[in-house]
Amino acid sequence: MATKILVAVKQVIALDEDFEIRADGKDVDADFFLRDLNEWDDFSLEEAVKIKEAGGEVEVVVVTVGPEEADESLRKCLAKGADRAVRIWDESMEGSDSQAIARVLAAAIKHEKPDLVFAGVQSSDHSFASTGIAVAGLLGWPHAAVVNQFDFSLGATQATIRRELEGGVLQMMNIDLPAVLSIQLGINTPRYASLRTIKQAAAKPIETLGLGDLSLNAAEVGEVGSASRVRRMYIPEKGRAQMIEGSLAEQAAKLAAIIKEFKGATV
Amino acid sequence: MIDSLSITRTLFEDFRPLAVTIFYAIGYGAIGIFLWGTWIQIRKYRYGTAYAVTGTLISRFKQMTGTMLTHRTLVRRDHAAGGAHALIFFGFALLFLGTSTITVEYDILKPLTGMRFWYGDFYLWFSLVLDVAGFMLGGGLVFMMWRRGWLKPPKLNYARPDRSPADPDYDRSGYRIEDWAFLWSLLIIAVTGFVLEGMRLVWLQGRPEVWDYRWWSPIGSAFAVAMRDLGLGAETAGTIRSGLWWFHGLIALAFIALIPFTKVKHIFTASASLMLRDPLAAQRLPRVPDSQESVGFSYITDLNWKQLLHLDACTKCGRCHEACPANATGAPLSPRDVILSLREFANKTLASGALPDQVELDIHGKSPGQVSMETLWSCRTCMACVEICPVAVEHIPIIVQMRRKLVEAGDMDPLLTKTLQTIAKTGNSFGESKRKRGSWTKALATPIKDARKEPVDYLWFVGDYASFDPRNQKVSQTFAGLLQEANVDFGLLYDSEQNAGNDVRRVGEEGLYDLLATANIEAMKNAQFKTIVTTDPHSFNTIRNEYGDFGGTFEIEHYTTLLRDLLTSGRLEVTRPLGYRVTFHDPCHLGRFNKGYDAPRDILKMIGCELIDMKRCRDNSFCCGAGGGRIWMPDPVGVEKPAQNRIREAAFIEGLEVYVVSCPKDLTMFEDATKTTGNEGRFVVRELIELVREAVASPVVLEAPVEQLA
Ligand code: SF4
Ligand code: SF4
Repeated sequence: MATKILVAVKQVIALDEDFEIRADGKDVDADFFLRDLNEWDDFSLEEAVKIKEAGGEVEVVVVTVGPEEADESLRKCLAKGADRAVRIWDESMEGSDSQAIARVLAAAIKHEKPDLVFAGVQSSDHSFASTGIAVAGLLGWPHAAVVNQFDFSLGATQATIRRELEGGVLQMMNIDLPAVLSIQLGINTPRYASLRTIKQAAAKPIETLGLGDLSLNAAEVGEVGSASRVRRMYIPEKGRAQMIEGSLAEQAAKLAAIIKEFKGATV
Repeated sequence: MIDSLSITRTLFEDFRPLAVTIFYAIGYGAIGIFLWGTWIQIRKYRYGTAYAVTGTLISRFKQMTGTMLTHRTLVRRDHAAGGAHALIFFGFALLFLGTSTITVEYDILKPLTGMRFWYGDFYLWFSLVLDVAGFMLGGGLVFMMWRRGWLKPPKLNYARPDRSPADPDYDRSGYRIEDWAFLWSLLIIAVTGFVLEGMRLVWLQGRPEVWDYRWWSPIGSAFAVAMRDLGLGAETAGTIRSGLWWFHGLIALAFIALIPFTKVKHIFTASASLMLRDPLAAQRLPRVPDSQESVGFSYITDLNWKQLLHLDACTKCGRCHEACPANATGAPLSPRDVILSLREFANKTLASGALPDQVELDIHGKSPGQVSMETLWSCRTCMACVEICPVAVEHIPIIVQMRRKLVEAGDMDPLLTKTLQTIAKTGNSFGESKRKRGSWTKALATPIKDARKEPVDYLWFVGDYASFDPRNQKVSQTFAGLLQEANVDFGLLYDSEQNAGNDVRRVGEEGLYDLLATANIEAMKNAQFKTIVTTDPHSFNTIRNEYGDFGGTFEIEHYTTLLRDLLTSGRLEVTRPLGYRVTFHDPCHLGRFNKGYDAPRDILKMIGCELIDMKRCRDNSFCCGAGGGRIWMPDPVGVEKPAQNRIREAAFIEGLEVYVVSCPKDLTMFEDATKTTGNEGRFVVRELIELVREAVASPVVLEAPVEQLA
């Protein structure tokens, strides 16, 4: 039987230098969104595709939770060698935190029954770094985070992994399968997907699933299904920096003036 | 009175009929081998993919004959070798025509109609001409031997920059043996021909119709007279003559038989190559047909038949090897060796009637005949090779097609991967937001029109470097100021403009190029303008030569022609002639690619600069090293970069004040190279636009004059 690897990916938001916060103050204005596949997911997908290319019967399925725009990132994954792409979405999922997303992913995993699940360590936009772990928790599967080396032979019940710990310490461990692993940057060199392959991948189908397909209900997802809610998003006041110019004496005088101003002295 | 009919040469005089028959048998055998060899070559070319020749064969033939008769491409940058080749070529051609003339009379006309013409005055002139031809041939050959044996120009050294001495195909000693065998066999044929002629004269000295007219064969008779004076008798001469006759004849026939198997075949392959020449081979790269599944060249059979033929046309003259900036700065690339490697590969794999397994046809790698990715990525697509090749070998399309395959497989420098991803995402190589493309205009007192919103005469396509690089932004602002002062009606596409794609295409990322070109073309079509103008030669090239294939045919000029017009018509007036001693660097994409050599030089004259050209100028300009996407790849450390090599060349010019460029990438590359070569303070690098600014009076002086900056 073919080994199935499920790679959970996310389309993240990158920002231009000048952007504006949405009127309700809870997110950046969507006008300024630049969408791209999460950087970590490039690595986890590559790791899965490498296993497939090493030979044997392996199927790589990428799964994302997101609206239609996310198809673009899925197509990139297909171009890089994923066999199938699944996008799960329902209006009610808007505003989900990592817990709610994990719930959706866990349901998808039950549906797909993979032998192995890869996720990125974190997403570059929201940086929760908890979705993968939460998925494992919901499934009751073993998990390992920040994996930077993965050794596994097809059909084995265990894999050997290496993880990055604090202070540059590495940890080698065996993990029982199926498991959820969150993959760290640098574990491999992600391949380049040429625009041509991305275009060709446009012809491949993207499966879409909704709440009902995964036997979820609206109360389990979105803001209502989340354990946390965004209160406010804002740009902190920037500190001031100023270059003091002029001759040495002038610079000294200016500096003195500034210090006085801050001290509020009146001398 | 001697009957003019008897003034001729009796063929096979004194030969027994059997000998004549044997000679004819050998002759037909030689022709047979020649034809068989020719078929093998043709069969090899037929393994290539399709190629549709454009234009009429007649016009192509005319152009090829013109090139051949004038030796135009051969005398360039090597008059001596070109001249010697002309001697060999015309000598050989005349001798060949002469022999054919005899055949026409002896084997065709006489047996069929009894008609003769090879006697009397015609015969005498014929003898004279062929003697001169033989002398030319011999002289040319002797010079070439001297050149190979004593002069030893570096370009004739076959050692390869992309192999190490331990590799089996490092110095290709086989080629050297072949070169010498070629020269010697031809020389022996020529010399024995003269000796033969002399021996016949001595042998037949008793016949006035021979002896009295001997001086019509001046060299043969000089030899004959000398031999006779030394005591050679008629009879001995006759004996020597029959022996030598066979020797001469057999070598000549062997030579003919071996043409398809040796370098001699360049007589045909080079002619065909010249006839198939694509004048835009480097300027306009091939599209990938929509129907095509795979992209680029992976296997030798992916080359088209014309390219397989080009491989065989190469004469190893080394001109491209010498001109290549990558080779000159120690990169593992020589355009000559790319061609020769692939030729050897084709000869090995496509020589038989059946193709070997596909794995054996893979041209990527490091085995003999294969081309490594380090080699392919070293190319700057500067066109120096294509431009100088005397036999019209087109290296760049082959290199780029092979790169397309590398890009597809992701075999490239990580920085390049990043840049391509950046361009795909943001439409520019700087990774800046699309919105910021027009930000440089904010510094201008008068805003620039938005060509998307109102019609303009000139649409200025700015390009990435001139839009985002801080140093080049200044130049863009200066150029805008000049246009405004000259009342030119112009506008920009602002954030609808994207990277033009010239270098993306030369990297081999055809899909991304397609995307960029299509987006730009659409933006241009939505704007109303008469002509495009650009300060960027790279954008200039692709818009001018390549956008047409993607449905965008526009009129475009490089800023140098526009500024020249403005200066000539007086819309810009030189009020402060500069008097600087300058040199000018021809950008590859303006010069070699699009022959824009004169406009910048005219401008320099108009603004009162004294131009001292570097030795490598105009068509021989030396690439700054940024082309072909190399600007996005790191150069090896500790090795001279092409830009440094170039600046050192300029530094030889005494009293040089300004090194003038007319390309944004050049400005970046050469300002850097001036610093790293320690020439800072000796002369400055300036965009031509900046010099024009300095020379044309303006209400506000934007830039400090050169003296203050140096
Ligand atoms: S294009 Fe330029 S760099 Fe590339 S092989 Fe030819 S001469 Fe060398
Ligand atoms: S490719 Fe052309 S220029 Fe280069 S060595 Fe061959 S014949 Fe000479």
